[in-house]
Amino acid sequence: MKFRTLTCALLALAAVSALHAETADNVAQANQEYQAEHFPEAAALYQKAIDAGTRNAAVFYDLGNAWFRAGDAGQAILNYERALALRPQHPEARANLHVARDKARALELRPQWWDEFIARITPNQFSIAAASVFWVLAFAVAAWLFAPRRAPLLLALALLSALVLGSLVAGLYALETGNNGRDLAIVIAAKTEARVATADSAGSVLVLPPGSEIRILSTRGDWIYAALPNDLRGWLPALSAQRVRL
Amino acid sequence: MTWSRAHIALCCLALLASAGSHPLLAAEPNVTAVLSNSETDVGQTVELQIQVNGASDPKPPSQISVDGLEFQTAGTSRQFQMHNFDVSSSITFSYMVTPTRAGHFTIPPLAIDAGGKTLRTPELTLNARDRSGRSSNTGRSQTNANVDPSQIGFIEMILPKSIAYVGEMIPVQIRVGINMRAPVESFGTGIQISGQGFTTQKMTQPRQTTETINGRSYTMFIVNTAISPARSGKLEIGPAEITPVVRVPRRGAQNPARQGAGGPFDDPFFNQFFNDPAFAPSVAKEVNMKSSPATLEVKPLPPKPPADFSGAVGNFTLKTEANPKKADVGDPITINATLTGRGNFDRVNAPALENDNGWHKYPPSDTFKQDDDVGISGAKSFETVVSANENKKELPPLVFSYFDPTKESYVTLKSDPIPLSITGGNTSSASPSASALAPAPSNAPSVAPAPAPKPVDDILPQLDDRTAVVQTFHPLYQQRTFWLAQLLPFFALAGFIIWKLQSARGNNRELKRIARLQQETSELQRKLRRNDNSAQEYLADAARAVQLKTALAKNLNANSVDADTAASAFHLDDAAQARLRRLFDRSAELRYSGGRNGDDTLSAEQRREILDLVENLRA
Repeated sequence: MKFRTLTCALLALAAVSALHAETADNVAQANQEYQAEHFPEAAALYQKAIDAGTRNAAVFYDLGNAWFRAGDAGQAILNYERALALRPQHPEARANLHVARDKARALELRPQWWDEFIARITPNQFSIAAASVFWVLAFAVAAWLFAPRRAPLLLALALLSALVLGSLVAGLYALETGNNGRDLAIVIAAKTEARVATADSAGSVLVLPPGSEIRILSTRGDWIYAALPNDLRGWLPALSAQRVRL
Repeated sequence: MTWSRAHIALCCLALLASAGSHPLLAAEPNVTAVLSNSETDVGQTVELQIQVNGASDPKPPSQISVDGLEFQTAGTSRQFQMHNFDVSSSITFSYMVTPTRAGHFTIPPLAIDAGGKTLRTPELTLNARDRSGRSSNTGRSQTNANVDPSQIGFIEMILPKSIAYVGEMIPVQIRVGINMRAPVESFGTGIQISGQGFTTQKMTQPRQTTETINGRSYTMFIVNTAISPARSGKLEIGPAEITPVVRVPRRGAQNPARQGAGGPFDDPFFNQFFNDPAFAPSVAKEVNMKSSPATLEVKPLPPKPPADFSGAVGNFTLKTEANPKKADVGDPITINATLTGRGNFDRVNAPALENDNGWHKYPPSDTFKQDDDVGISGAKSFETVVSANENKKELPPLVFSYFDPTKESYVTLKSDPIPLSITGGNTSSASPSASALAPAPSNAPSVAPAPAPKPVDDILPQLDDRTAVVQTFHPLYQQRTFWLAQLLPFFALAGFIIWKLQSARGNNRELKRIARLQQETSELQRKLRRNDNSAQEYLADAARAVQLKTALAKNLNANSVDADTAASAFHLDDAAQARLRRLFDRSAELRYSGGRNGDDTLSAEQRREILDLVENLRA
């Protein structure tokens, strides 16, 4: 029995190691293709590594560079955005994103007024802070309930914690549902037009250059309804844009 | 008070524990959709009802668009149902659906936002037959089969011109006159303008006046709107159609005044009086009224429009402003551009910089202030934020192109350059994002030849940061490990609460013990004061009282207290200590010897001394 368990564990370890080695090979090969200026091939290999599970900011950044060199600004911007979604403090991805946007004349969603306050904090930081404050609140309430006599300091701490917790939850909600949240998507197709209805013949709302930001509001079949730059809304083909968060 | 707080804490703990295990207790919401009739005639209205069950605040479909069908919102109703103390609610969204042409239509699944969850209606089909052979205007019993619409009123559609360009906004006035003797109950589904190849603006609220035409008094309802041709060629606009519900005299129930001439009531005054709908037996009927269609010759826009032409047709003027006038490179500068005039403002986009080299432009925001009631005249203001990538002395002109139907040509408006002073940057046009943030490539080979100067808008190179860390796009709060980690403080909180509960219980036991000792001490002292028992009992009670007092003072077990312990507890002087020892000795002697081996009597003075000793023991 023990021998069988050990064998299974070793086999699983070997499989994981083989997979890791394969993805590492893909990335190394992609780097070689990139150095040889075979940019579409490099992009395909980076993408293969990502599909195999190697998801980190560095690979998305490299993939963005490969697409930029291959002339696909939409895909480049999408992957820079993905790198920044995984590591918001990624100066190279941010710099290249600016360059790609300028080059593609991509449109950006209009920042909301609270973005200035919450954009510097990541959802993970919000989550940790909210959980910490929640437990401070829970302990303060419990201590206040068991205090032998009135404890105004504990009560004040509980009220302050509740206030901070509310702000953190509201901030997290605003961040997640805002322009840089889970519904942020990037237009990757050329000549994308947002329309007033789900038909190619419907009136045009806005022409979106590749790399433009949209926020997906709903989907209907092969169409997505999205908030667009310039505070507009419209329908665009589902295949013309991809969500930043996978 | 402590116990009640403890109970509250227990309840909180139970709620906290149950909150994690039962995230969703409510029933799943669902949606149904039905058409009142799956077959109808062109122009005939059927009702679409979308019923959402089990959702607290569902949002209706934002937009329903099917080519050949017109949808109009007809209201929302909410129903509540209670069964075995379970309250369920449903919301019904009603729409009036009118086919504008014959054919087989499919209404696709519509998305309903039910509290964050998207529900989809089933796909519905509607078969619209041609209007020919129609016998009535609705399926209701109220028909106008026997009512002459011309006796009830009229509708007319007024177009100011018969030739227009694609995209041009043409104001339309629709006048509905209803005979004042046929009071209007409702306007049914409102005014419809049938036809294809043009779009219609939202209609204004009707303006009501009274007019007398050919000796008849009419209540006039005047509605303004605008149409915009979407294609060139000859378009048939209309007819405008309305199906109001009016009250008309009931058939076969004429007033006596009208039955037979020469009767006693055959008088024009009585005729008028008894035929007044307010007094005559009347019935509500739908009356279908149509205007004459209008023909519009639509010309296509001339070829070769300007590069920045976005489809705006009309007549506009441009006014621009930029602030601040002095700034550093990279600082935001706000450009306010206002386009005033008349035309299709929905196709008016923000004016663009004639030359945007060295400028980074952010998406503009816009506001529209309309001067009329249909939105074809007004001012559209754009606020665009730009930042310069290099030193600049002026803001380039802003340009905006439109087609002027009066001049029959494209017009490009161009603002004057706005003088600015932007300093602090290099004179070259290097992109700040690339130049400021560019670190030295970490994987650049040391022996590589000096790289050729890169284009100014080039990206930073590949990185050598090959971390094997797998990252996820899911935020922490969506990960199971995050919630599992919360078990740690949860158990700590539970332990804290249990500890506090047990402490409270222990404190309670201690209080009870103290109360019991105090009560026993008081009783013993009362017995000593009564002085009605034997010497053996008196000494035993006194010694026991000393033990109890010492136990209370020093929180000791009373049975373990002896004379020395008591003496040190109360800091007695030597004489008192001696008396205390004697008390304990005699008490023990009498208790264990039964009083037969010694003096078993106590004088009154001795008893008073002992009582004083006991009562004066104070910590």
